Amino acid sequence: MAAYMSMGEAHRRIAEYLNRFYDAVSSQDGKSLSRLFSISSDSSLQFLADALNTFQDANRIIRQSESSQYADIIVPVFRALQSYRLRNLVESYLAFEKAANAFVQEFRNWESAWALEALCVIAYEIRILAERADKELASIGKSPEKLKGAGSFLMKVFGVLAGKGPKRVGALYVTCQLFKIYFKLGTVHLCRSVIRSIETARIFDFEEFPARDKVTYMYYTGRLEVYNENFPAADHKLSYALTHCSPLKEANIRMILKYLIPVKLSIGILPWNSLLDKFNLTEYNNVVLALKRGDLRLLRHALEEHEDRFLRSGVYLVLEKLELQVYQRLIKKIYLIQKQKDPNKAHQIKLDVIVKALKWLEMDMDVDEVECIVSILIYKNLMKGYFAHKSKVVVLSKQDPFPRLNGKPVTS
Amino acid sequence: MNQGETDQTITTLDTKSAEQHQIVDQVHTSSYYPPNPAVVSWSTHGENHILRENGTLSNPSYLHDQRVEPSSRNVRDGMNVSSIASTSNSGVANVAQSYSSYATYPNTDPYGYNSSGYAGYYSGYQQQSNQYQPQSNQYQQQSNQYQQQSNQSYPQPVGAYPNTGAPYQPLSSFQNTGSYTGPASYSSTYYNPGDYQTSGSYTSGTYGAQTNLWHGGQYAEYNSNQYASYKPETNAAYSSTAAIGTSQYQQHYKQWSDYYNQSQTEVSCAPGTENLSVSSASNLSSVPSAISAYSASNSQLPAPYTLSWRPESSSSESTSLQTGIVSGSIHEGYWKQGTPALQDNYSNSQPPHVQKPLDANPTYGSFQNQQQSTFSHGSSTLYLVSPSSFQTISQPLDSRRVNKPIPTNPRIASNLALGVPKPDKDSTTASTDSKPAYVSVSMPKPNEKELSHDAADSVLKPGVFPNSLRGYVERAFARCKDDMQKAACQIKMKEVITRATAEGTLYTRDWDTEPLFPLPDANAVNKEGGQFLASISSSPKNKRSPSRRAKSRWEPIPEEKVDEKSTNLSYGTVKYGGWNKQFSAGKTENKENTFSTKFSFPEQKIQNNNATRLAKRQRLSNGLNAADGETSSDSDKEQSLTAYYSAAVALADSPEEKKRRENRSKRFEKGRGSRSDNNQLKAKKMGASNFYAKRASAVVVGKNFEEKGSRAVEDIDWDALTVKGTCQEIEKHYLRLTSAPDPATVRPEEVLEKALLMVQNSQKNYLYKCDQLKSIRQDLTVQHIRNELTVKVYETHARLAIEVGDLPEYNQCQSQLRTLYLEGIKGCHMEFAAYNLLCVLLHSSNNRDLLSAMSRLSAEAKKDEAVKHALSVRAAMTSGNYVMFFRLYKTAPNLNSYLMDLYAEKMRYAAIRCMSRSYRPTVPVSYIAQILGFANLLLTTEESDEKDVDGVEECVEWLKAHGGCLTSDNSGEMLLDTKVILSIVFLCQ
Repeated sequence: MAAYMSMGEAHRRIAEYLNRFYDAVSSQDGKSLSRLFSISSDSSLQFLADALNTFQDANRIIRQSESSQYADIIVPVFRALQSYRLRNLVESYLAFEKAANAFVQEFRNWESAWALEALCVIAYEIRILAERADKELASIGKSPEKLKGAGSFLMKVFGVLAGKGPKRVGALYVTCQLFKIYFKLGTVHLCRSVIRSIETARIFDFEEFPARDKVTYMYYTGRLEVYNENFPAADHKLSYALTHCSPLKEANIRMILKYLIPVKLSIGILPWNSLLDKFNLTEYNNVVLALKRGDLRLLRHALEEHEDRFLRSGVYLVLEKLELQVYQRLIKKIYLIQKQKDPNKAHQIKLDVIVKALKWLEMDMDVDEVECIVSILIYKNLMKGYFAHKSKVVVLSKQDPFPRLNGKPVTS
Repeated sequence: MNQGETDQTITTLDTKSAEQHQIVDQVHTSSYYPPNPAVVSWSTHGENHILRENGTLSNPSYLHDQRVEPSSRNVRDGMNVSSIASTSNSGVANVAQSYSSYATYPNTDPYGYNSSGYAGYYSGYQQQSNQYQPQSNQYQQQSNQYQQQSNQSYPQPVGAYPNTGAPYQPLSSFQNTGSYTGPASYSSTYYNPGDYQTSGSYTSGTYGAQTNLWHGGQYAEYNSNQYASYKPETNAAYSSTAAIGTSQYQQHYKQWSDYYNQSQTEVSCAPGTENLSVSSASNLSSVPSAISAYSASNSQLPAPYTLSWRPESSSSESTSLQTGIVSGSIHEGYWKQGTPALQDNYSNSQPPHVQKPLDANPTYGSFQNQQQSTFSHGSSTLYLVSPSSFQTISQPLDSRRVNKPIPTNPRIASNLALGVPKPDKDSTTASTDSKPAYVSVSMPKPNEKELSHDAADSVLKPGVFPNSLRGYVERAFARCKDDMQKAACQIKMKEVITRATAEGTLYTRDWDTEPLFPLPDANAVNKEGGQFLASISSSPKNKRSPSRRAKSRWEPIPEEKVDEKSTNLSYGTVKYGGWNKQFSAGKTENKENTFSTKFSFPEQKIQNNNATRLAKRQRLSNGLNAADGETSSDSDKEQSLTAYYSAAVALADSPEEKKRRENRSKRFEKGRGSRSDNNQLKAKKMGASNFYAKRASAVVVGKNFEEKGSRAVEDIDWDALTVKGTCQEIEKHYLRLTSAPDPATVRPEEVLEKALLMVQNSQKNYLYKCDQLKSIRQDLTVQHIRNELTVKVYETHARLAIEVGDLPEYNQCQSQLRTLYLEGIKGCHMEFAAYNLLCVLLHSSNNRDLLSAMSRLSAEAKKDEAVKHALSVRAAMTSGNYVMFFRLYKTAPNLNSYLMDLYAEKMRYAAIRCMSRSYRPTVPVSYIAQILGFANLLLTTEESDEKDVDGVEECVEWLKAHGGCLTSDNSGEMLLDTKVILSIVFLCQ
């Protein structure tokens, strides 16, 4: 950008960076130190990168400066900056990892946790750089492996933080970065060990962690529970994330809702349309509508329409299971209509009626299939009653024939 | 001189053996220690060595002591000699010899490396030390060597200093010999022993004796080594020793000359020292020349050499068994020896310096300047760097790389090598690092495996070359009609490549368009290197049996057996032959030559007298010792040998044993590819040596790449190394490969096609078919055939596996098919996508896997009948819709129903549970039989009554087996009492 930068200017910028580094370390100012590491997000560092590209012998300045004892950190940081500026992301990542390793070494020696913020920035940067480096590697046909490397580095950092003392509050941030990596890589099973140590280690008091980390952590663990179809736990975690998430972070809220809504649906709780509209989660509109109407066709269409999206986010199977609730709704409707006609015979529903109703929905199902569905509904306790095979009649319980889920999952 | 050299070599060998016989060494060391005042300085060396050697702590001390002793060396030498003699007498020799020979092999490679690198390095250092002995503190080793030299000079009044220098150089020469021996490891070792003996006999007053002592001291394992050497020596060296014994001085001179020669070759300065050296230098310049030098040496000693060799080889084989037994230890010993060798190199290089000092100092100084900065620091980092550079240098190809940037690479390499020992001092890790490079060479030699590794190392060099160059080389070889031509071609090729390297056009030249050189006259080559090659090749051939050959091909992985070791030796020789070519081509010898020319003048002046004398005497001794060539006084021979050694060393430069081991294990991980590649290489290039070399090179390339990271691995052009099968048998039993495949047992594609047809039409059982298909798959893999035939084979196997429910086999095929389809090879993609989906569905409860499998399906795939069916099955299963499931079961396309079979039982059970809860009061069994797929057809039609009955009966049995309570109503209809079964089913939950 800066087409030309004088040597003096370059020198000045480099020296200024070094001074800032030294001042931050000597005054134990974690915030300003952390700013010096945000390669990918702090634009002021881009000027430094230009300076470094102009002034080639930065190592000499480092040696002469007060920060020379941190040359192990600064030299690779400079290299990472330069490479980043030149869009050589793999190089940048490699250099930054070196710097991060050196920093972690230093960090170990610092008794207090003042540099925690800087460490968090490093953890963040290393993930971002690894992701970009992988993109670069993939674009030239090489196997992207840097993110994996970043994952193992962060595991190391987690080990440094997971101990008694003030540094432990940083552990959750690193954990969240690890989650992001593992989810991106599709190796979510690796999350388990971190989760175990977070949730069982006595040194950790969950409420002690910063709120942002808690929200992120709950979001990811909630997603894991969605995969496991453990809906109550998923509901708990995602609800925690939702209630603690800053209301200003709409994007984050939307991400949480993307998983929370299917979870809530599967335990029988429907969202307001206004909520879906507010956070632009319109893909759920028809799903909710289908549940309300008992419209199987609408549900199937909605699933088909957004199949890719649901498959990618991993809620497809959850939504598919809503089918039973739609059947329940449909039969309940039939029941209610029959009740209006003849309250005495309302609890007996002929199979033919259901088949006919489904035909109206253009669902071509024969008696055997419907019989099976009914059987499953009874079995899953979505309907109370029994099925008489001989007469092909569903006999509903007179008391609460269609129990509500009320936050409980469908029994499997 | 010769003796001294031989002694050195012996010592190196001895050191190896010494490692094995650490106890003995320790004893010696203990005796030595007290007397030596300079022990401290030495001790540092010793420490370094120790670190390198891993286990031979005593040795280092020994070495130090000896080195320190120099002043008292004469006496001590005498002592040592006596002790040595006694040890030799002890008869340990047999084992020791075998060991030593082995050791020498490995050592030699490392030595050669070391010597070359070290020599340069040392030379610089030594020179410095010589000039600035006070400064030499850092270079205590050097100073020690110096001292030793001085000591040596003491005993020998004649050339005192020069002589001393010479003895030192002998050490270097020893190293060279070591490398030499590497190729003909046994012979060399034998020779060495001979030298030893001679030295022993001379020890009373000769330098050689001192040198021997020296070596021994350095290696601590002296005794064993000497012993070992002794026996061999007795074979050939005895006569020489007798002759030498008469004139110790002459021997010293010879040693000198040898040293010079060796040093020259090593340092490249040495070449000129002796008259012969000049020719050798020329030889050195080109790898081929190195071979020629070899041959020359052989030619000089031809008859005796070969004779001695063969007998020796036979003996060595017998000994080899012993070595084989000790092989494990030997390996370590080798390593250790290798390190000792390095030490020797140090000492050697120093001597050259001493000799050269005045003349050579400036050049050395320059070298030193370059390398010294790093080395003087001895910093581990420098060290680490140095090894890598070292390796590259040592390896011909590598050297080319290095050469481009740094013309003086050879020297640097030597320096690096020298530096390496120092780093060892600094840190053990550093030492290990440095070692690896050496070790690789040494390791391969000792063990067959190691040999293969060495070969691999040599391959590494090729790896350094640009792909286009590789193609060029292959084209050149493709023209060769027989082994002779190939050998000639290789030499020529080396010349071309070295020239290109020297010109710096190795990487810039367009090898793809480069015209091939005219086919060299194989006979002419034979004249030069023929004898050498012949001796080498012939001995291996004689020794080899076909089966062994096959093994040798496989060597990289499997050869661990003691039995094979004997063969290994022969192999080693063969490989060496191959190596020689390669090594000579790529090695730094060229550079060395230039150096040698520079140095040669001063050295020649000093040495001339000695050289002539030595030459004469050496020739005599050579005649006896002929096999050692190195020990032989002929400077040419020596130079050639040294060059050869250095080349060999360079080849062997491979990093550390650890790395090798890692590589080995990695190789397994990486799979058959590399093996097959190796095989392929072999297959393509018919010459036995060529095969080995290529294979080795392939392995080496692999290693290098592995070391350099995965990126490099991707760059390897494995396809160029593909095996081409020649087997015409249609039937073949599957045997899991444990080594590189043999083209003779691999079927070509057209035969495989027939084999597939045979399997498809076979009436035999699945086990037979599976065995046949696996062997077909193996042959395909080995030959890198990835086309529609491959897909067909995997599909056939996968279908068969599905039919019999062999899921592990199916999964293997499926994963292969996935990558094959991804490569765009046509096949029944959809069919197998459906199978895959069903498999994920049926055999894992992992929703994530299912989701990703579903999201991977393309829109096109979702329209496919089979895939649609699989998706419906998934939907039925996730919703528990048993009616749908069994309907789909009956309409399943392809083999989908076989996969569904695996889930049907579960589904039935779930259905019964569901029905037992929801149906009241009873369910007709006929209905259940229909719904749950017990009948083969839908029961809605009356025609299917019979089947219906069958199905019902089956269903009844199934229900009873699962605790169902059956009743019958008035009309005789069987009914399932749902209440009863409910309790049972849910009790069983």
